[in-house]
Amino acid sequence: MVTYDGDANQPEAPRGSFVSRYLLSTEHKIIGLGYLWLALFSVFLGMAMSLVMRVHLIWPGAHFPFFSTLGDTAERYATLPLLHGSLMVFFVLTAAPQLGFGNYLLPLQIGSREMAFPVLNLFSFWASVISLFGMTAAFFAAPQVGITIWIISISIFLAAALCSAINFSVTAIDMRAKGITLPRLPLTVWAWLVNAILGMLIFSILLAACAGLLSDRFFDTHFFSAADFLASQPSNVAADPLPALWQRLFWFFAQAEVYVAMVPCFGIVSHLISTFSRKPVWKERLVVLALCAVGLVGFCVWGQHMFSRGLNPFSPLVFSVLAASLGVPAAILVVSWFATLWKARIRLNTSLLFALGFVSLFLSGGISGIFLARRGITSGAVGEDFVAGHFHLVMGVAATFAILAALFFWFPKLFGRRLNESLGRTHFWVTFAGVYCVFMPMHWMGLVSQSAKNAGANLASIAAWIGPVRSFITVGILIAVFAQGIFLFNFLWSLLRGERIRESNPWSATTLEWMEASPPRPGEHGDGEPAAYRGAYEFGVPGVAEDFIPQHVAPDRVAKAN
Amino acid sequence: MPGTIAPPDIELIIEDSRGGGGGGSRPPDGGDDGDNSDFDRQRNRRQASQRRFSTAIAIAMVSILMFFMALASAFLVLHHSSHVWVAVHLPWILWVNTAVLIGSSLMLERARARLSLGDDRGFRKLWLVTTAMGFLFVAGQLVAWRQLAAQGVFIASNQASSFFYIFTGAHGVHLLGGVAALLFVLLRNFEKSQISRPLAAEITSYYWHFMDGLWIFLFALLYLGK
Repeated sequence: MVTYDGDANQPEAPRGSFVSRYLLSTEHKIIGLGYLWLALFSVFLGMAMSLVMRVHLIWPGAHFPFFSTLGDTAERYATLPLLHGSLMVFFVLTAAPQLGFGNYLLPLQIGSREMAFPVLNLFSFWASVISLFGMTAAFFAAPQVGITIWIISISIFLAAALCSAINFSVTAIDMRAKGITLPRLPLTVWAWLVNAILGMLIFSILLAACAGLLSDRFFDTHFFSAADFLASQPSNVAADPLPALWQRLFWFFAQAEVYVAMVPCFGIVSHLISTFSRKPVWKERLVVLALCAVGLVGFCVWGQHMFSRGLNPFSPLVFSVLAASLGVPAAILVVSWFATLWKARIRLNTSLLFALGFVSLFLSGGISGIFLARRGITSGAVGEDFVAGHFHLVMGVAATFAILAALFFWFPKLFGRRLNESLGRTHFWVTFAGVYCVFMPMHWMGLVSQSAKNAGANLASIAAWIGPVRSFITVGILIAVFAQGIFLFNFLWSLLRGERIRESNPWSATTLEWMEASPPRPGEHGDGEPAAYRGAYEFGVPGVAEDFIPQHVAPDRVAKAN
Repeated sequence: MPGTIAPPDIELIIEDSRGGGGGGSRPPDGGDDGDNSDFDRQRNRRQASQRRFSTAIAIAMVSILMFFMALASAFLVLHHSSHVWVAVHLPWILWVNTAVLIGSSLMLERARARLSLGDDRGFRKLWLVTTAMGFLFVAGQLVAWRQLAAQGVFIASNQASSFFYIFTGAHGVHLLGGVAALLFVLLRNFEKSQISRPLAAEITSYYWHFMDGLWIFLFALLYLGK
């Protein structure tokens, strides 16, 4: 199929109405910002959902002015975690690091004027917006109708994500400027590329599963609805194959989705740590290989969720080995981060703080993941709370920290102003303490409740233990959410009143996006055509006046040290 | 809406549109300047577009393949584990459809050979035949659905029939995309386009042959999965 893109990315003066300049613009920067706004909206909505759930856990009788009118059935409550999860996973963790920052920065970092298919990009963006509307609307509909709307919304999002994935990979492969060879690509670009390819593989699988679900709902087929179809069958037949089919297809997607959220964060964090340590990324090529390996192995580990599900007896072993082999690239990344920081003249600002926070959360979440990857520990041995604590820490919160680090770093690029540092530091420390206070006790609760249940202790004594911990978690959440108020204030205030940056490259960074004005003028590429003459992380080169050489500086233009 | 009037020249990578000295900004387009004076730049841009279109179609094909592989694996899993599998009696017209589709692939290649010889009339004729065969295939698939329905086999009848309808339906939708691409190549005025007709035909041919091969795979799966 041929996509005809017209002249979408012709440089043009900012004219026309608000609609044509922003809503229908095919410019990658405006679309990237659009995704970031969507993510900002979704993260606060999703956070409000989690707050409602936690408050209901410890004060079940509490009345919310808005939710109480929706009726308090079990289905109504079940839609809360569903909406919380889908907003956070799809519109924050998938959208912000990849589609938001990626759309904005990928073309700039490879010296391209646009994404490969700007009109397709605009289409993906608006499909995502429609999907977000649909998911939110599903919450208010009656449960059965709501689920149908939700599945359709997910399918729309997946189709949009597939188009984006094609757009990202083609842009990174074919649209690089002169001199941007593969070894000179910034790690962020590598991460976006690997992630686009991974996303392209797994989103189509979930799309197929959604097609089956929708067919079940609209045409009364029986791909997944085992219950009524096999009601007449012997019980052992009904129990085994059909739900397992959904689980297979779902986990094929969902396990890899974790890496879809994480891979761009790895790239961003490596990039930031190197820039603020004023040192090249330690073993850059090895890190690139590690990123590729995370994508490859992450695609293959879906079976680790199926340990208790009647797979071939050898397959748990295979998946266990695969899941464990993810430790190798993860270890390479972690070692590279620490080695880059080692003996560096670190510029410790809020952006780096959040990047280091990511490393910390990734390590602690990853360690609890090792427990879960062991064959012996299936759902019987640890409670749901343990799993919830694990994936919130490693996927949700860690990725959010990377997103915030990226936002503090690129805010001057995006808006020409800085975020406030002291508000940022307060925000960081309160959030950092808050999330540990929330998710560490959750691990502990999962272990205690389950082991006590297995040992046959009476439930009343467990409840006496669990109750205060649960309240502690809720208080922790209240504090962590309060800290996000600081962030929101910082964000809006800096957007309007923040300190303007004087030079276009405030962090003394090396990559191509800083060679032009901040914020970049629409459709322009600084003075002259973008070209790169060196690798992405040339910090502290001996014999050079400054401690960094930007990628676009030609060898004969490098200022020599005296 | 920006970008519907001006000439279709994407500023791709290296070329700087403002490079031509003092008054370098592009004149607002008067509607008739399809012929860009800067021929060299045009050609460079074309080369860059060429690569991105072929890359995009390759990646899209992998993605589509994953979609069908997920369905195929579901088919195999359910087929082997289900105790109530009622095989679908495949309508005879599917064999005709398959032959038509393979024929259309051959016809498409002959059309492209004509195009590379510069025989525009011959190309159009053969390309039109290819497109017609594409429509014929879709019509044939609909006839197959009618034949099954006449036997009383509907999409909700049993799992095997559900898979039959889903496979043929999803493939048909993807194939209609290919038919749209065929029509695009036939009807588009490539004088003003950023992509040349031979390139568009080549990319369409990848997709069309892919749809052809995919159908053979699905047909084999359905046939052997009886």
